[in-house]
Amino acid sequence: MKKTIFYFLLFTTFLLEAANSAVKLEGGFKVGPAIIMIGMLVIFVVVGILNSAKDTSDYYAAGRSISRVGSGMAIASNWMSAASFLGMAALMYGSGYHGLAFVVGWTGGYVLLLILMAGQIRKYGKYTAPDFIGDRYYSTGLRIAAAIVTIIISLAYCVGQFGGIGLMFKWVMGMNFFWSTVIGSCVVLAYTMISGMLGVTKNMIIQYIIIIISFLIPLFILLFKFDYFWLLPPIGYGAAVSDVVNGIPAPAVSDMVNVIGHDFAILPSPEYAMPWDASTGQTFFQWMAIVFSLMLGTAGLPHVIQRFYIVPRARDARWSVVWGLFFICLLYWCSPIFSVFGKILSSNPEIGTLAPDAIVIYTAQLGNINPLIVGFLAAGAVSAAFSTVAGLLVAGSSAFSHDLYFKVFRPDSTPKQQMMMARIATVLMGVIVTVMSMMELALIAQLVALAFSFAAVTIFPLFLLGIWWSGSNKQGAIAGLTTGIIVTIVALTYFIAGKYGVALPAQEFISFWLGPWYFAWIGAPLAIFMNIIVSLMTEETPLEIRKFLVEKVHS
Amino acid sequence: MEEQKDYRMSFFKPTTEFSRINRNLVIVLILIWGICVFGFQILLRIMEKPTPEKTLITFEKVWDNVKSGNASSDEKVQFADCILSVLGKSTLAAKPEKRAVLNNALSWAVYDLMSGDSLRSNFIGEISAFEKQRAELTDLKDPAYVNAKAEIIQKTAPLLGLEEYSLKARLIPLELRSAGMEVLQTENKDKLHGIMSLYLTHNQSVLTDTVFLGFPFHYFYTAVFLLILFVALCWIYSFMIDRVHKRLGNFDKTKTANS
Repeated sequence: MKKTIFYFLLFTTFLLEAANSAVKLEGGFKVGPAIIMIGMLVIFVVVGILNSAKDTSDYYAAGRSISRVGSGMAIASNWMSAASFLGMAALMYGSGYHGLAFVVGWTGGYVLLLILMAGQIRKYGKYTAPDFIGDRYYSTGLRIAAAIVTIIISLAYCVGQFGGIGLMFKWVMGMNFFWSTVIGSCVVLAYTMISGMLGVTKNMIIQYIIIIISFLIPLFILLFKFDYFWLLPPIGYGAAVSDVVNGIPAPAVSDMVNVIGHDFAILPSPEYAMPWDASTGQTFFQWMAIVFSLMLGTAGLPHVIQRFYIVPRARDARWSVVWGLFFICLLYWCSPIFSVFGKILSSNPEIGTLAPDAIVIYTAQLGNINPLIVGFLAAGAVSAAFSTVAGLLVAGSSAFSHDLYFKVFRPDSTPKQQMMMARIATVLMGVIVTVMSMMELALIAQLVALAFSFAAVTIFPLFLLGIWWSGSNKQGAIAGLTTGIIVTIVALTYFIAGKYGVALPAQEFISFWLGPWYFAWIGAPLAIFMNIIVSLMTEETPLEIRKFLVEKVHS
Repeated sequence: MEEQKDYRMSFFKPTTEFSRINRNLVIVLILIWGICVFGFQILLRIMEKPTPEKTLITFEKVWDNVKSGNASSDEKVQFADCILSVLGKSTLAAKPEKRAVLNNALSWAVYDLMSGDSLRSNFIGEISAFEKQRAELTDLKDPAYVNAKAEIIQKTAPLLGLEEYSLKARLIPLELRSAGMEVLQTENKDKLHGIMSLYLTHNQSVLTDTVFLGFPFHYFYTAVFLLILFVALCWIYSFMIDRVHKRLGNFDKTKTANS
């Protein structure tokens, strides 16, 4: 007993000592947060090993044995990436009300996903999104195209996540971006390869719990500390938003200061909360287009759709969306709190310019929250990025091994060979993402939004029409997919040209109306329109597919 | 019946009782969803008016005289106060070129309000030394730095009619620039009014000015209410579909059908 108390005291002293090293805003190795993060990573790998995939059904769809609440947590964890954990607060911190477009877009899309797709997708009974597309549109070419699209979406999405992992490792370990990204990718790859979807899903449940607890604790503390209603943070921070709009004079709160000693005060800043404020450089059209694109993208993301295959029944698929959205909203309701406190606590110009993508961490630090809690928060951010990356790698590698290797190139391959190919694909994707993320192309949330727009113009129309209209045929699907890809290429070409100062014809016009984060506002309706027109002009969908839709999917 | 045999189906032409009920439910929920998400933002857009902050009105009152060099001391004090209001906005942090214009305007106003050439020239030296000290600073709590900052506040705050502990007074040492302090440069004069208008005009309406549970109403609606609505819509749909299946005697056997 004495020995236990001694070791406990020794460990506590060590942690408190370690905590002091986390006070710096930037750089330096932070012992306490590092221990928390390493411990968390070890747990992920162990859970992955304990739940390793035994066959292809385990690998692709977790043996179809996950409960509704568990699947809801996995949906939430899979969904809540670095973009949700770090990126949303960053956008609201930088551009105020405009950032709320991401909150609304990333949650509202679940309504579409549920009422238009979830149950029907599960009833269709395929393993992956390309599997559905190849089967529904009776086309190997479309299966290959959908698999490639899935891999590209997974890659684009993963790059944003690795940016988040890099930032957090840099903050905790004091490492440079290169090494933090390399280490992060090795850990994710290790357990994704070992466990596949089953281990990933079990990990996701644990990760959700870590994400939500680590995110909420600092918020309760901040609200309590700065005298706001703290019992219900999503409501309690309302007064803080109004305070930013109207200003907080220094003398009235002279006993409250940030970690540097600046008063908890701010000059009136209505631009933080007022809609599409000119000083943020964002417009009403962009707000609406982002919301619309993100919503359609949500309903078209392969790694999200794939989650409906892991529940036993269609009913479970529906309820897992309800649970998933609720769990997601727990974080999204609270995300603006970091941005509003970040605004106030960093309002003194002495703080300098903070990296927006790390504002969640900086806010907790500036609020003088215990460094170990800040470390736990950083671990939560890494957890958010890891859970999403793992889901994306499974979706991407499944597209490669199941939809390309097994269904197209080697139909006679054994399950063992397929598993091997899935693991090789995971490693390949991991390497590509690591290299791409080192280029630091854009803000985390922006990179993710790009993946959403791409999914909205390619996958979403194929699923929507494939489920809801038996008349949509192979030729229509090819036309729709081609339209979506053309719109994407145009939008990206103009974006990249603009970035490197090259002026293409109508550069300003196209760059504004086909922004890379929201080109789906026009691309998705165009793809749907083309699909319908070409389908009407060509041969009808085969009878057995129409029969399957009526008797199995919509019964 | 013919359609049933041909197995042609679409969202608008359901082939079974379940898909007809499902379609009606989907239409109702999508309408609620669309109106609540996009309808409200359109309403917000229709109702909003570009509304200037009081500071902008004050600035516009004194700007012509400041620009032409005929401003009285009181007008210069008001001018400097307006500039500080914008410099205190953190959205400006990412716009160094705009900040530079405002820094020049503030520095000139403070310099011009000082009486006596020797005082002015000493002041430039003092600010220059402080800038150097700040550039080399490693700890914001360094006593030498803190004292130098306090001295500048003591000298400048009374000139601008500010209390030393006020937020604006504390901004002054951080925003003064010694280079070009003697004049409000012509190119900055041309840009200043645009910058002030940009940062001090906001889209406001009764929806943004009404406070609900502490929030500006539109902010509460978008950040809190819409998310509650989304969860509620999903819950209602799942609940209703379960009831429909029960009523129609459908048994969900997805797992056995596909595994």
